[in-house]
Amino acid sequence: MTAATAATARHADYRYKIASNRLGLWLFILSDSFVFIGLFVTRFYLLGNHRPHLDQALGLLVTSVLLLSSFCMNRAEVSIAHGDRKNFLIFTLITLLLGLAFLGGVVGVEWPTAAREGLTASSGAAGAVFFMMTGMHAFHVLTGVLFLGIVLNNGRRGLYSAEKHWAVEACANYWHFVDVVWIFFYPALYLIGTVAGG
Amino acid sequence: MKKETELARGVIVFILLAVLTGAEFWIAVATQAWSALFALALLKASLVLQYYMHIGRLGSDEGGH
Repeated sequence: MTAATAATARHADYRYKIASNRLGLWLFILSDSFVFIGLFVTRFYLLGNHRPHLDQALGLLVTSVLLLSSFCMNRAEVSIAHGDRKNFLIFTLITLLLGLAFLGGVVGVEWPTAAREGLTASSGAAGAVFFMMTGMHAFHVLTGVLFLGIVLNNGRRGLYSAEKHWAVEACANYWHFVDVVWIFFYPALYLIGTVAGG
Repeated sequence: MKKETELARGVIVFILLAVLTGAEFWIAVATQAWSALFALALLKASLVLQYYMHIGRLGSDEGGH
């Protein structure tokens, strides 16, 4: 086998691996989404046309932050796909910071505020649903932030290129998935129905 | 696809998502129409799945990385 033939075979092998990796990632996303679908259905089963009493301005703010983070993640992915390492690092870092801001908004501000107003995990169905939905989602945001940190660190070490950046694509897809979940959770928790007691 | 085209598409999707989120908030305050809120959430999720998550690439090696 000549060197050129071997290189072509390696390249074909790598492309096949990418297609398999994508399938695996999407199967993981599909299985993970069932957890969130379960929580979403639980919210409507237990609360019906009621919702927890929450800070509307904060809800809209954290939603906007997560939306903006998805945009930045997309920009980071497009940048590395075209060999623009500098913008890839900048936008990955911004995405990570926005993820931390989202966590701060939900866990650091919304949770204590809700608790002060009597909404706790054990105060009733509304509290249980609110803390379970936001808690499970926040845990995914946290793992996404850790994933972003790993990708950022590897990116700084020059491990990704326009040709090879599967980890960046996987991280971006996971991050966007977390955003998709919030797209459904935001109206379910903050917008739909009338305010319920704790 | 050219980098500029991809970046521009990302901006357009972001603007659409922001407008739809604003519409959601307005609908919730003004009408409380469940069906409209669900429809908007589905539309937003579809945009993210199609243009940010590239669901069309599933099963292919497109992108070459």
